[in-house]
Amino acid sequence: MFSFALKNILFYKGRSITTFILTLVSAMLFIVYVALMDGSHNSMLQNALKVYTGAIEIYHKDYRDVGGNEYLIRDVKTITDKLLHVKDVEAFSTRYETYGLLSSKEHSAASMIAGIEPQKEKLLSSIAQTLKEGEFLDENSGNCLYMGSGLVKKLKLHVGDEVSFIGGASDDSFAADIFRVCGTFKTGSFEFDSSASFINRKYFDELMYAKNMASYITIKVKNLDDVDRVNSEIMKVLDDENLESLTWKTLMKTMVKAMEVDSVFGYISLSLFLVVIFFVIMIYGFINVSSRLKEFGVLKCIGLSRANIFSLLFYEIFILSSAAIVLATPIAGYICYYYSINPIVIEGLAEMYKDYGIVSNEMPFNFDMYTIVWNIGVIYMLNFLSILYPYMYINSFEPIEASRHV
Amino acid sequence: MIRLKNVNKYFYKDDPREVHALCDINLTVENGEFTLFNGPSGCGKTTLLNAIGALDSIDSGKIYLDETEITTLSEQARTELRLTQMGFVFQSYNLIPVLSVEENISFIMRLRGFSDKEISERVLEISSLLEIDNKLKLLPNELSGGQQQRVAVARAVAAKPKIILADEPTANLDSKNSQILMDMMRELNKKEGMSILFASHDNLIMDGASRVIELKDGVLVDDYKK
Ligand SMILES: Nc1ncnc2c1ncn2[C@@H]1O[C@H](COP(=O)(O)OP(=O)(O)OP(=O)(O)O)[C@@H](O)[C@H]1O
Ligand SMILES: [Mg+2]
Repeated sequence: MFSFALKNILFYKGRSITTFILTLVSAMLFIVYVALMDGSHNSMLQNALKVYTGAIEIYHKDYRDVGGNEYLIRDVKTITDKLLHVKDVEAFSTRYETYGLLSSKEHSAASMIAGIEPQKEKLLSSIAQTLKEGEFLDENSGNCLYMGSGLVKKLKLHVGDEVSFIGGASDDSFAADIFRVCGTFKTGSFEFDSSASFINRKYFDELMYAKNMASYITIKVKNLDDVDRVNSEIMKVLDDENLESLTWKTLMKTMVKAMEVDSVFGYISLSLFLVVIFFVIMIYGFINVSSRLKEFGVLKCIGLSRANIFSLLFYEIFILSSAAIVLATPIAGYICYYYSINPIVIEGLAEMYKDYGIVSNEMPFNFDMYTIVWNIGVIYMLNFLSILYPYMYINSFEPIEASRHV
Repeated sequence: MIRLKNVNKYFYKDDPREVHALCDINLTVENGEFTLFNGPSGCGKTTLLNAIGALDSIDSGKIYLDETEITTLSEQARTELRLTQMGFVFQSYNLIPVLSVEENISFIMRLRGFSDKEISERVLEISSLLEIDNKLKLLPNELSGGQQQRVAVARAVAAKPKIILADEPTANLDSKNSQILMDMMRELNKKEGMSILFASHDNLIMDGASRVIELKDGVLVDDYKK
């Protein structure tokens, strides 16, 4: 049957070439498109993660939903001691976030002010790298404020200027101080740049009575793919029902959702394309089969069973799609691999997606064997499905009826 | 042995166009007979051969191949029966265009799982008998009609079925080629002992047959041995 199928393929060249080319094109397109989609989503997430959100963050329960000083973590040291023993945690840092009013001589604006540990923060987030003017904080910086460029603009401030702060301390008392603008940053995320500012915890804790307290602890894991496993390990180590440890998937729910929606739309447009290809392949198969109807009738007369006919059609499509896929996979795989290392650069990409926190114009591909394998599986499936209708068409004829067909 | 008991076949039953294509046919064909179905066009020869070949259903009566009643078999069983017990020769050759002469001849043997050795021996034997042994590597469309029909005969007999059914095998051939084909089939019939049933209204061919069955309007009107 196999060599018979092969001979049919070589004999009915028109159908074979069309099917081969269509399969080739659709397989390559499918693999490359999915790689691009996954790749750009991954890089968006990674950029967003790099900027400020941790792979995992530990909160006191209800801090995120209710908020307020009563839900601060109050025994930071016990927790950080425990974290030291979790193997796959690469780095962690504590943050004390509060909202307050910043005023320059002319203007006032609300700001999220985060007390951070400057050295550790460098390992965890790219805030330090997004420096625009002045300098980032260090262990000894006192009332230095590291401000988002948008916020600085709003307040008409410059590096070196003074800015007054009014807010509430951790014990709900009134807190006020004068800070000095030491540096500004620009992440690309509009909202973040126009509302966030950072200050050294050492200094800030005195003002806020926040020693050994934290809004949350942010954690970087060695391998982002392991985040769920590491997270459950952390929860086990913490063993405190008042704390919750959340991965970026929860922390960035809206972003993840947005990307899922984006993926769904991507897959819908892709499947429309594949459906068209599928029908063209099927129609060519069908035309081929109907031109061979008499032959199939004769074959059935002389004793070919339905199973024989099916395996004949199956082998034909299998050989054709395998040939196409064998050629398409390395090419598409190489394209994905190449662009995963040398991302395509599109000017203005960062500007367009600034709300997503995209900070670069690069558009990397995702090179992932598993993804390529399931892409190939889908193409095979589609091709196999395309023989069903021709097969049913052949069987709708009695052998004798078909053999008379001309 | 083939037995037909009160076989009736209608086309367009219960319709003004109704045709009673086979009327109460009773018939027994012994193993090894070389039987010709003769009669004018439209008398029911093809219909009868198709019924015997388990290719078409009948409306009443019974058809036995040895002890098996073939009229009640499932489609799968009939396919199996055709594959293992019968060989078909068609009016218009119907060779598989993509396969060489050799592959066409061995097609059914391969389907039935004969060994390579058996196949190559049999192909040689049968092709030399039918004088196509120098054409084995060619494709069907590189042969003349007479040669193609001999390949078709070779394909039908290669796997040694019990019965060969041939519907007007000579209709597309000139008288010389018809004669050659009939002589060869006659010889195969003698040598290998399978029953050969064929339909024709070619009087030339009648001479070679060992038994002639005359049909007229679906009725068996004469049956004689020579
Ligand atoms: N598929 C069919 N549908 C309707 N009527 C049919 C069909 N096949 C045969 N008939 C009718 O049955 C009768 C017998 O036809 P059959 O083909 O058996 O004749 P035949 O003896 O083989 O003729 P010929 O020598 O021309 O081949 C004819 O009257 C024909 O019109
Ligand atoms: Mg006929």
